[in-house]
Amino acid sequence: MAFAGPVLLKRIPADPAQRKLHRWADYVATGGYEGFQKARSIPPEDVIKLVIESGLRGRGGAGFPCGTKWTFLPKDVHPRYLAVNFDESEPGTFKDRYLIDHDPHVLLEGIAIAAYANRITTSYIYIRGEYHRQAKVLEEAIAEAYAHGVFGGKHPGTDIIHNCYVHRGAGAYICGEETGLLESLEGKRGWPRIKPPFPAVAGAFAKPTIINNVETLACLPHIMLNGAAWFKSMGTPSSAGPKLFGVSGHVHKPGVFENELGVKMSALIEKHAGGVKGGKYKAAIPGGVSMGILGTDQYDAELDFDIGKKYNVLGLGTAGVIVMNDQTDLVLALRNIVRFFAHESCGQCTPCREGTAWMHKILNRIAAGFGKPRDFDLLMEVALSMGAMPGTTICGLADGANWAVRTFLQKFPEEFKARLKSPQVQGVNLAPVAATV
Amino acid sequence: MPTMEVDGKKVSWEGRKMILQACLDNGVELPHYCYHQGLSIVASCRICLVEVENPDPKDPGKLVKIPKLMPACQTPAVDGMKVHSLSPKAAANQKAVLEFLLLNHPLDCPVCDQAGECYLQDYSFRYGRAQSRFEEDKAKKPKKDIGKHVLLYSDRCIMCTRCVRFTREISGTGELGVFGRGHKEEIDVFPGQSLDNPLSGNVIDICPVGALLDKDFLFTQRVWFLKKTPSISPFSSGGENIFIEHNQGRVYRIKPRFHKDINQWWISDDIRYGWNFIHNNRQKRISVRGSADCASWEYSLGRLEQMFRKAAAEKGAGSTVLLLSPFDSTEEMFLAAKWIRGIDSQARLILNPPKIEGRDQVFRNPATGAVTYIIRAEKAPNRRGAEKIIAHFGEPPAGRTDSLDELADRAKNGNISAALVLVDPIAHNDSRLGEVFADLENLVTLSTRPDGLVGRAALALPVCTWAEKSGVFENCEGRIQAFERAVAPLEETRSAGEVFWDLLSQAGTYNAAAVRRLMVQAGLAEYADVSIPQREKEVELMQFVEL
Ligand SMILES: Cc1cc2nc3c(=O)[nH]c(=O)nc-3n(C[C@H](O)[C@H](O)[C@H](O)COP(=O)(O)O)c2cc1C
Ligand code: SF4
Ligand code: SF4
Ligand code: FES
Repeated sequence: MAFAGPVLLKRIPADPAQRKLHRWADYVATGGYEGFQKARSIPPEDVIKLVIESGLRGRGGAGFPCGTKWTFLPKDVHPRYLAVNFDESEPGTFKDRYLIDHDPHVLLEGIAIAAYANRITTSYIYIRGEYHRQAKVLEEAIAEAYAHGVFGGKHPGTDIIHNCYVHRGAGAYICGEETGLLESLEGKRGWPRIKPPFPAVAGAFAKPTIINNVETLACLPHIMLNGAAWFKSMGTPSSAGPKLFGVSGHVHKPGVFENELGVKMSALIEKHAGGVKGGKYKAAIPGGVSMGILGTDQYDAELDFDIGKKYNVLGLGTAGVIVMNDQTDLVLALRNIVRFFAHESCGQCTPCREGTAWMHKILNRIAAGFGKPRDFDLLMEVALSMGAMPGTTICGLADGANWAVRTFLQKFPEEFKARLKSPQVQGVNLAPVAATV
Repeated sequence: MPTMEVDGKKVSWEGRKMILQACLDNGVELPHYCYHQGLSIVASCRICLVEVENPDPKDPGKLVKIPKLMPACQTPAVDGMKVHSLSPKAAANQKAVLEFLLLNHPLDCPVCDQAGECYLQDYSFRYGRAQSRFEEDKAKKPKKDIGKHVLLYSDRCIMCTRCVRFTREISGTGELGVFGRGHKEEIDVFPGQSLDNPLSGNVIDICPVGALLDKDFLFTQRVWFLKKTPSISPFSSGGENIFIEHNQGRVYRIKPRFHKDINQWWISDDIRYGWNFIHNNRQKRISVRGSADCASWEYSLGRLEQMFRKAAAEKGAGSTVLLLSPFDSTEEMFLAAKWIRGIDSQARLILNPPKIEGRDQVFRNPATGAVTYIIRAEKAPNRRGAEKIIAHFGEPPAGRTDSLDELADRAKNGNISAALVLVDPIAHNDSRLGEVFADLENLVTLSTRPDGLVGRAALALPVCTWAEKSGVFENCEGRIQAFERAVAPLEETRSAGEVFWDLLSQAGTYNAAAVRRLMVQAGLAEYADVSIPQREKEVELMQFVEL
């Protein structure tokens, strides 16, 4: 393991005063589009091979090996599309935005490389509706890239012209789920699709489609330039490469930091984020609220793709770490998380649509001081019945809600149980309630 | 044929089928809400999840269990597969889904029309839990008037989206959509629209719960009192298969009956709501011109026979007329023709032509272009049957056409001695016929309604509607289909078939099957093997387990 210095953030200094938006000239002056040149100098198949060899795994949440995903495209079926997932709506996640705010061309170069390797006809950057500024930044950068021939030309040796567009979402979390994204891209309601068919076979407009996260694609120029071995020299055997971590919550210096995969959470918090604020460390969300929670004794958890098995969470997710100090009321924290899922459930699957709203109501009642002892088991059971086994619902949102509720209860049972005693025992002020009945 | 085992039962199928469909085809029940064979698969209700063991491709003797629960509606059936819908894991999911669906349900079955044919009730009984653990406030959702025929009780909706898919895939009109998100979502019509396409009533049938209800049927009957009699649409030439649902001699609603090549699961609103003539505006008694008293059937039949014999004798062969209606059964028309030809060997057989409304209206799935339903332009069920009978009894002599125009000419010239008219139950051509027969003394009508020609008739016999008799209709594609009697004939009415059966002094009482045997003997071989539709099996009483 060796992380020598920033890779993805090499154009974004830690000091806010020195950060700036890199336009075409700035980008090219700092080695931009050299990775693309390099890619074009070798056959597309070799680009795919290199990406597989590098061990690059998806940065959007699921951690699926990037090059392998590309190989699922059926041979010689055209047109094919690349959908860039810039929906970034997972709470606690703001890494893609940070990157695009300052260095949009690194994404465009990544897109150009992926498009070259896979003979893509059209790339769509699906951007979260609330990201107004970033959409504008990207539009401008795309115009520059067109002007310099990155887009709009034929893939060498073919008649396939590659175009790139920005498509703005309308602000739904579920449109970050890859098939919800495709539906939304097609102008439909963002309801995740049932699989099969998988997007690689029939994705956007029923054509073969690759979906990749912004950060995943942003790794490609660096891999092209520096090689697979270099990429693998960072991280762990199963989790190669550098990674952006967004740290928020009770820390002195929240922000986006880069380190290698496998870095200890404690190191991230203390070295980069200035340490825990307002008290001692109590718990943390490893990567977006869908992943569940790390307990007080899991402060040193290594942040890599194996975190799920080792620490009883769903996974690394987006690596948007939310830190909570010992003053945090976890009942309220969980209520807030579940409120999010209830609000964002797309409403297709019965367990997710009804279960998230039910859990939110139960947690509301507990928060108000009217919890009952049996609520603990009830919450656990509702959570389990909506997503314990993947496959109970169409997409992963329900699993996320399940993991959040389950791990909060499992890792902090006492804190919840204390709130399930009668209101009088808890010392709840019943006067306002009495006034309403 | 590939075969799999579902809860220990053997299930076979042909071609590519999903587990659920293969089971349903074999009469093996798996719970399902969002799945409907006529619509696209969305696999969203999640009640059909099952455990699946697949044969190992490397070692076909071995089965490999898929670790997740699989949606039966969306998982292809594979030869040698084992499916478990009763395993603890599958059962736990069914129980959970039902509990979820009932969280915000108002549980107002006592005032809900769907009670008794509701899949929430049925599955709750079979798979659900006795008590809800939900103690929060229920979400309240409004009742909406969404179209000419349909009411939406949003709070009973389980968001299966069958109705939405119907308007997008079958009627192609797309008035319905899902609005809002998550637990706040509701079915509604798009702003400024209402659900009033010509197939709108079908959404009521496919709604598995009491969310979409029929304004026409609202609060008129509890469904468990209704008996279903298989029948054929009496209004159109398509031969759409239907059920007449009735109780104590009264019809309450018409529902589609599945026929894979004709109407599939659907019927048009014309057919669904056009049956009012069964109970309204009926001629109930025999009426004789110039007499206020009621005549008996015995007297009237004698009078009829006498009138026609006399007329034919006076004006000669070919002067009497039988006007057939495309609304009567082929058997009845056969008997009528046989009778009149027995009196006047050259009696003219003429068809009162059916109403044609524009062109056939063809509905297609906008995505695939496949035809989903056809509303026929021809608004009568049995023109082809009538034509067959006319052809059987002899072509018109050369140079003469048997049309209403020609009939009118002959009537004007005084060349008609007597006419027997089978009147359409639905007013059509009334004024034209009134003109044709304006001055005819010997006019006899067989009519369900008291208006139209009836006022002019020397003898007006009251007959029953198709719901009160059985017989066959032949649709526009030449399919001969039987319909069954649903309710008893009203008051003094008789079927036209019965009238001619008695006039022909046939032994025994009239029945359609006996007439078909006569027809076969007379050389109409195709009536030998008419299949009679199955009545619905009596619902088996649920076995209540003592707790
Ligand atoms: C509910 C839900 C929300 C998601 N939101 C995002 C998102 O905002 N951005 C993202 O890149 N991936 C998101 N994903 C993951 C995507 O489905 C998909 O795995 C990812 O975009 C694939 O890209 P990658 O292989 O490059 O990581 C989400 C998944 C789920 C289940
Ligand atoms: S799991 Fe939830 S968010 Fe995902 S498709 Fe089903 S209802 Fe929609
Ligand atoms: S109204 Fe009926 S058919 Fe439509 S979604 Fe609701 S339950 Fe399903
Ligand atoms: S019937 Fe299979 S999910 Fe609804």
